[in-house]
Amino acid sequence: MNNDTKRSSLIDKLYRKELIEDNPFVDVAAYLFLEDIADKQGAAGMNTYLMSLAVSLAKSMPMEEYKTWDEFLEAVRKSESIITTFESVFTLTDNCIVTTICPFSRGWLEYTQRIGEFNPIHTEVAEYYNATVKPGAVDTGCVIHQTFRNAAVERIKVGGKPVKYAQIAAILADGRKKVVPEEWLPPLLEKAGITRTQLNMIMRNNACIWVLYQER
Amino acid sequence: MLDVALVSLIQDMSEKAGVEGVIQYWSRVGESLAKRMGKEAYLGWPSFNVALREKRTAFAIEGDVIALTDLAITDVDGDVVGYVYALETCVFTPTILRVRYSVGEMSRADQLVAEEYNNTVEDIAVCNFCVIHLKFRAEIAKNITIGGQSLEFYQLATRGFTGQTKILEQNLKKIGINPDYVRSLLRNYACVFALVLKGAKLRGEEVAEE
Repeated sequence: MNNDTKRSSLIDKLYRKELIEDNPFVDVAAYLFLEDIADKQGAAGMNTYLMSLAVSLAKSMPMEEYKTWDEFLEAVRKSESIITTFESVFTLTDNCIVTTICPFSRGWLEYTQRIGEFNPIHTEVAEYYNATVKPGAVDTGCVIHQTFRNAAVERIKVGGKPVKYAQIAAILADGRKKVVPEEWLPPLLEKAGITRTQLNMIMRNNACIWVLYQER
Repeated sequence: MLDVALVSLIQDMSEKAGVEGVIQYWSRVGESLAKRMGKEAYLGWPSFNVALREKRTAFAIEGDVIALTDLAITDVDGDVVGYVYALETCVFTPTILRVRYSVGEMSRADQLVAEEYNNTVEDIAVCNFCVIHLKFRAEIAKNITIGGQSLEFYQLATRGFTGQTKILEQNLKKIGINPDYVRSLLRNYACVFALVLKGAKLRGEEVAEE
């Protein structure tokens, strides 16, 4: 076992549970904080706020460089790259990344358990984001996450070249799905290296399907 | 992830609204969270303490809160009017760890907000999230009745991520608990507080009046 592997295994043992699991008290409080903003600024204002929050988070993280795509994928799988630091993923192909459990689901479950029905503003903001930015979000968590991924890949270089990110599908804790528009699917599935049937298979028991690639 | 994103905004918020603005924001969040969780009623202290253990009360959203039943608080007549409670792990610890291993280091505004709170409100905060937490508990206590009487919350002690501790001696005097004992509790717990029936005539208050 080399030193890097030893260190990463020690961090896993000490903290991995805390790092992956969300934080009920802080997360529910954060959702209410966002609802407070929506009350004052509406869906458009909240969307702007969420996007700047996600970009600001990505910009506060260090830049990354990898020699090869394999080295990058290894960091992605181990959640060691900034792009997957908040989530557990597996890679179906060299370009298709699958998030097993949405990092916002614990907060969502705690909210629905302790507070009641999830405030509809969270899906209204996602609809605003889908209509004005890029279609792919189911709720506010997706707006933050997808904006974050978009800003985070700009901080990563593999073999000296930039990395690109594209969203394919997002599935909420209650099963609601948002797949990108029909006309966008064929090129994205080609980039991901999966078929439409495979996409439907993955969507059944995972939270998010997305693509990382480089321009040729 | 949401909590880490929010932390990245604290610096921004404190630059735009000032650290006092962040305190006002967080207080409102704590108050709003407590209001949204609704009211609770219990027949007596044992039923409340069981609800806490089974995580049925609003206080359980914080994680493992232990009722220290050996630390019953009595009034001037010797009747039990409250208990001391302890939170095992600070709700902010997972966030601090996530920030440490994703962003690299905590925003400097975190401690600035805590210092401002300590200087202007009450000298007990060890991080900026204490502001939400303290307001939340104070409001939740108002929403819970035991035997028909609502509760009052007294924060007693806190321990931060780097081991720094804060103790509110005036609250300890009111409920008549030795500060050294509470200090020893901080070895095992991150946060110690008391819940007391509102309006109860506490022994410490009687001593102060004399």
